[in-house]
Amino acid sequence: MANLWTIIKKELRRFFTDKRMVISLLLPGIMIFLLYSIMGDVMSNNLGQSEDQVYTLKVENEPDGYKSALQTLYHLEYSDELTSDEALAMIEEKELDLYIIFPVNFLDEYNLGNNPSVEMHYNASSMTSSAIMNVYSSFLSNSLQQFTFDVENHATTMDTSIMLITGMIPFLLITFLYSGAMAVAPESIAGEKERGTIANLLITPVKRSHIALGKIIALSIIALTSATSSFVGVMLSLPKLMGGVPDFSFAMYGFGTYLMLLLVIISTVLIFIVLISLISTYAKSIKEATSLAMPLMIVVMLVGVSTLLGSAASNPLLYLIPVYNSTNALLSIFSLQVDPLNLGLTIVSNLVITGIGILILTKMFNSEKIMFRK
Amino acid sequence: MKVILEVKKLKKTFKLSKKQQKIEKSKLKERIAVNDLSFSAYEGQIYGLLGPNGAGKTTTLRIISTLIKQDSGDAFVDGVSVSEQPEKVRSKIGFLTSDLKLDEFFTPNYLFNYFSNLHGVDEVTRNARKLAMFAKFGIDEFSEVKVSDLSTGMKQKVSLVISLVHDPKIIIFDEPTNGLDVITAKTVIDFLLDLRAQGKTIILSTHIFSLVERICDQVGIIIDGRMVFEAGMEKFKEPNSLEKRFFELYEASRGEHHG
Repeated sequence: MANLWTIIKKELRRFFTDKRMVISLLLPGIMIFLLYSIMGDVMSNNLGQSEDQVYTLKVENEPDGYKSALQTLYHLEYSDELTSDEALAMIEEKELDLYIIFPVNFLDEYNLGNNPSVEMHYNASSMTSSAIMNVYSSFLSNSLQQFTFDVENHATTMDTSIMLITGMIPFLLITFLYSGAMAVAPESIAGEKERGTIANLLITPVKRSHIALGKIIALSIIALTSATSSFVGVMLSLPKLMGGVPDFSFAMYGFGTYLMLLLVIISTVLIFIVLISLISTYAKSIKEATSLAMPLMIVVMLVGVSTLLGSAASNPLLYLIPVYNSTNALLSIFSLQVDPLNLGLTIVSNLVITGIGILILTKMFNSEKIMFRK
Repeated sequence: MKVILEVKKLKKTFKLSKKQQKIEKSKLKERIAVNDLSFSAYEGQIYGLLGPNGAGKTTTLRIISTLIKQDSGDAFVDGVSVSEQPEKVRSKIGFLTSDLKLDEFFTPNYLFNYFSNLHGVDEVTRNARKLAMFAKFGIDEFSEVKVSDLSTGMKQKVSLVISLVHDPKIIIFDEPTNGLDVITAKTVIDFLLDLRAQGKTIILSTHIFSLVERICDQVGIIIDGRMVFEAGMEKFKEPNSLEKRFFELYEASRGEHHG
C-alpha cells in the first residue's frame, strides 16, 4: 500500500505543482463563471429594457383609446409629425421603432366584417422594434377579439428552479467530468509512454495492479478538481444566468442531495478516468490518445443531451449502463425524485466497471506489445 | 565464484508488421531476436555483451530486467526466475539504458526519493545513499534543478544514480557512455570499477571494444540472436585482439548467411 500512496503522491505533485497544469484545471471554471455571468447580465438587461424602454412610433388613423391604453403599460413616444417617407427611412435607420397605418374608419370596417388590413412597418434587426411590433400586434388582436386571458402561474419557486436546473445541469456536469478526465489521463499515461518514463516505473518491484490503481486514484482526484472548478463556475453564475427569471433559487437542495450528487460524480469520474486510461495505455502518444478518446466524448455528450428533454428513466436495468445511468441519476437527484434502487445501481455498477477496467489496465501494463508498441 | 546471472536457452521472436516487412525488405512474418541464448555471469564480475546493431543484445537485457517476456527458456537472477517471480527479480537488478527516460518535470532529489520509496528503501539508508552518490557524481550541485533544465551528461548521471537507489546485486548497463563527454564517461567507467570492487555483477552492453578490453572480465559476442563466442578477457591479448576476433566471427556469420 505504501507504493500505491507513493504513486498517487507523485501524480498529484506532477499536476498540482505545475502552474500551467493548475491553470488548465481551474481555467474552465473561471471562464464558465465569467461567460455565463456576462450572458446573464446581457439577458437581464434585455429583459429589463422591455419595461423601461422608450419606444418611438408613428401611427396613422389610430382608433380612439388605443394610444392611452398602451401608454399605461409602455413608454411610447409618438412621432406623428413625420411624413410617410420619413417614417420608413427612419425605420430602416433604426431611428423609429414602428410605423403603423390603419385604414380610415378601421373599427367600423372591422365591425362590418370587411377584414380591413393594417400596415405595419418595423425593423427585425432591432430588438426594440421587434419588441414593440409584438406588443402592438398582441394588443390589437386582443382588443379585437373582445375578451382577455386571465392567466395564473401555479409553479412554486422550487418547481421553477428545478425545471431550469434539470434542463441543463446534468448535461453540463457530465460534459465537464469527461473534459476533466480528458485533460489529465492522456498526459499521465500516454505521455509517460511517449516520453519513455513509464519503463522506469515498470522495472521497479511495484505490482502492476498498484501502478494502475495509483494512477486511476490520482487522476480521478485531478479530474474531479477540474470538474469541480467547472461545476462551481456554473453554480456561481447560474443565479446571474437566471437573473431574468423570477423565483430562481438553490434553496431546495439540502445536504442529502449534495451527498448523493458527490457519490454519483465520483463514480462517474472513475468510469471516465478508467475508460480514457485504457485508451491512453493503448495509444503511443498523447495525440493518439486524444484522437481515440474523441468519439467517446461525442457518445458521452449525446447521452447527456438525452436528459435535456425527458425525465429520468425508471427501468432499473437501464441504470446498469455506464454514463447513461449517471446522467439519469443526476437528473433524478436534481429533480428531487431519487429512486434509491436506481441510485444504488448506478454507483455499484460504475464501481464494478471501474474495477474491471483496473484489471484490464493491469493486464495492459503487463503486455509488452501494448506498453512498447511501435 | 557464485553465479549471479544464469541465462538458459532464451528465445524471443517479434512479429513483423507489414510496415516493418517493407522497411526490412523481408517477407518473413516474424523475426528471431534472441535464439537459444545461454550465458552466465559471476559475482563481482563485469560481463561485456558485444554485437552489431540488431544482434539481440538489448532484447536480452530487457528480458533479464523483466520489461519483456521471452518465448521460451529462462533467466535466473540470484537464483530467481524472471518468468516466475519478475517482481522479486526487479528488486535485485538495476537497469540503465537510453530507452529509459527520467520524468523531466521533477528534480534529481525528488526522483531519487521516489524510486527509493518504490523499492522500499528506508529513509535513513536512502538519505545516506543519496548523500554519497550525489557527492560522487556532483549531482548535489543541481539536485533541486528540474531534469528538463539539465544537460545530457547531467541527466545520464542522474539516471545512473537512480538505477542504483536500491543497491542492486546485478546492474545492467546498455551503452552507459553513449552521448557522454569524455570526462563524464570516465566518471561512469570509474564508477563501474568501483561497483565491481564492491562485489556487484555488471552486465555491460556496448560497441566500444576498448572499453570491454579495459574493464570486462568476461565477454560474450552475440550475432543474429545467438551467442557465437564467449570467453574470459585473458584470451584477448595482442595479436589476438577482441576487435579482430569480433570481425572474424562477424564475417563468418555473414558467410553462413550468404552461403
